[in-house]
Amino acid sequence: MSGATLFSVSFDIGSAILRGIASVFPMPESGWITNPDVILGLSAVIFAAILLAASMLNTILLIWWERKLLGRIMDRRGAMHVGYAGLLQNFADGLKLFRKNTVQPREADSLGFYSGPVTYMVTSLIIFGILPISSGWNGGALPLTLLLALAIFSFAPLFIFVSAWSSNNKYSLMGGMRSAAQMIAYEVPILLAVVAVVIVSGSFDLTTIVYEQQNYWFWGPLFVALIVFVAGMLAEMERIPFDLPEAEAELVEGWNTEYGGMLFAFFMLADYLRALIGSILVVLLFLGGWTLPTWVPSGLTTFPLAGIFWFMVKTYAVFGLFVWIRASLPRVRTDQLLRVGWNRMIPLSLLAVFLAAVLVTVKCLPVFGCVPSAGGM
Amino acid sequence: MSEMWINMGPQHPMTHGLWNLRVKLDGEIVVDVDPEIGYLHRGIEKISEDRHYNEVITLMDRCCYVAGFSWEHLYILAAEEALHLAPPERAEYLRVLCDEFQRIGSHLMWYAAFVQDIGLMSPFLYGMRDRDLVLDLYQSYTGARMTYEYMRVGGVRNDLPPGFSAEARQVLDWLSRRFDEYDQLTLGSDIFRKRCDNLGILKANDCVAHGVTGPMLRSAGVKRDLRKDRPYSAYDRVEFDVAVADGADVTARYLVRLEEMRQAVRILRQVLDWLDKNPGPVMAEELPRWLGAPYAPIGREGYLLKRNFPKGVGFSAVEEPHGEAVAYVVNEGGEHPYRVKFRSPVFSNISAARKYLIGYHVADIPPIMGSVDICIGEVDR
Repeated sequence: MSGATLFSVSFDIGSAILRGIASVFPMPESGWITNPDVILGLSAVIFAAILLAASMLNTILLIWWERKLLGRIMDRRGAMHVGYAGLLQNFADGLKLFRKNTVQPREADSLGFYSGPVTYMVTSLIIFGILPISSGWNGGALPLTLLLALAIFSFAPLFIFVSAWSSNNKYSLMGGMRSAAQMIAYEVPILLAVVAVVIVSGSFDLTTIVYEQQNYWFWGPLFVALIVFVAGMLAEMERIPFDLPEAEAELVEGWNTEYGGMLFAFFMLADYLRALIGSILVVLLFLGGWTLPTWVPSGLTTFPLAGIFWFMVKTYAVFGLFVWIRASLPRVRTDQLLRVGWNRMIPLSLLAVFLAAVLVTVKCLPVFGCVPSAGGM
Repeated sequence: MSEMWINMGPQHPMTHGLWNLRVKLDGEIVVDVDPEIGYLHRGIEKISEDRHYNEVITLMDRCCYVAGFSWEHLYILAAEEALHLAPPERAEYLRVLCDEFQRIGSHLMWYAAFVQDIGLMSPFLYGMRDRDLVLDLYQSYTGARMTYEYMRVGGVRNDLPPGFSAEARQVLDWLSRRFDEYDQLTLGSDIFRKRCDNLGILKANDCVAHGVTGPMLRSAGVKRDLRKDRPYSAYDRVEFDVAVADGADVTARYLVRLEEMRQAVRILRQVLDWLDKNPGPVMAEELPRWLGAPYAPIGREGYLLKRNFPKGVGFSAVEEPHGEAVAYVVNEGGEHPYRVKFRSPVFSNISAARKYLIGYHVADIPPIMGSVDICIGEVDR
């Protein structure tokens, strides 16, 4: 990993600030300011702040992208008037929600009612700390990033269910139950699809997985796993056709029916954060992350921050696919969703695992080339 | 989870209009339903007794806000019978023109709302977009997009503007291409078929027992259409087929409505041809002097009017976009109708809710009720 990483940049900023402060004061008394642990602590805070700002900015851009794309598909224009091409519309909407009063139903359980949205949001944000964005631009180079990300990702049903139950509303409760059933049902195929990727790449580290895709991206050989993963992610993100927990036709707004103002904004932002995470995971696991194929002219990959640029292009393209699906498919029913999940998705994901094992054993494929040396058992 | 009652309405995304569906659920299964209506009652029948014959037309537009023309037509037919008047032939063709454009407009509105109920987002906008073209046509000859007040006792208010025919034909060409696109978006989707096939079944026997009419009855395989069975205005002079399907489920109702729109296009082409060839008056020549008067004649004139004008009773039934509507107007002499009574098709269609909702999932309620095509304005009146 050459060049600056996000953490090294934060560390430089933090130490520069602290050394600047220390230079003003007499040295012996203020020696604790330049203590390495203090610098490390401050740089961790700066690192987190940069990540927070970047992820929130991207989430809001994602909402804009969805609104515009959805609008075009529906033969209209989407947000137009606030900012250039409606870019600032979502900020205006956010400010409006921020100003609104938070109404808590009288019979609601305060602890669950307020902690639900907050924990839902926080757990979604934590994942950004471990997702690699480009070479070196990742938080901690942990050996088990993928596993950790998926583990945190699967916390959500608990918090949704807690907030739904605490709202003391029948629609919320039904939405919460649907959400829990749906997420648990689709957790299994997602994990099995990921196992297929892990078998081929031989690592749980997302950075390694991306570098294992230098010969070919995994979407081709692991196409079955990709299908399972995308379908499962659609269910996890609760988007059409799997948006039953908040099916507005029958359940008003599902598990967040009773939430308004900033608490609703938390849910909404966390939903889009999860959509962003889902798209990022698809890009990392199947579409080669920030790398481009070797036959691409080198001018496209050598400009500054090229990795991040291509990463974002891919992420937004994958999310565009989700939007396209949303615009053109009707919603399925709960029993149909669960039947598809248990009876179709899990066998399909087992098939994907089997195919991955075959791929590792065969080593080389006619069109795609060979499995990287590091892969396999 | 034990059984519980939930209120779907009066403010709920499923209720297109202001009404309440009380649903008893066992988990996700519907055990019992209880439709509550009456939130939109305005006493239109009673108000009509205090208005001139022509002033009632204003109320008819408010009766069903997506099918105003059909309700105007319904009332006008009954009122003309009660007053012993006959409109000129051109006015009758113009009324058929209004009716059939209204059928397309109403069914497009239904299509948009129905696909939204099962989560299809884009076709909702497509339906509304195409309905706008029809509304533009209304506007060009009535001046209004929703409450037209176009028909009059003894004819219609005004003739079509120049160039209307060409414009209308363009819209019809556009629409007949769009209907195939609608089919691709819905029938072409496996999820749609999985959601809507064998859903909300109401067999022909139950339809008849509950007085269910219109597309719901025809979707059960009964070939009954008042335009054919009891022709009014110019319907006996145009060619069209009655749309029938035999599934008795949500998909069948969809098929019937789409086919009705195609047939409406066919009727409209014939009507436009006739209107192009046969200019003429649009109001009857011999009208009672007071019919258009803004105020009731009083004193001796009013007395003579009450005494001399022949009494009568008018009955009419038209095939409204939602079903069979019936009107009964009693003329006891004078400038006001003595009694006006309507039968709303949607009232009966909603009343049969227990028959077609119980046993399905809660997620099936919006598509089923959507396929009924509810217009609360005419139910509550």
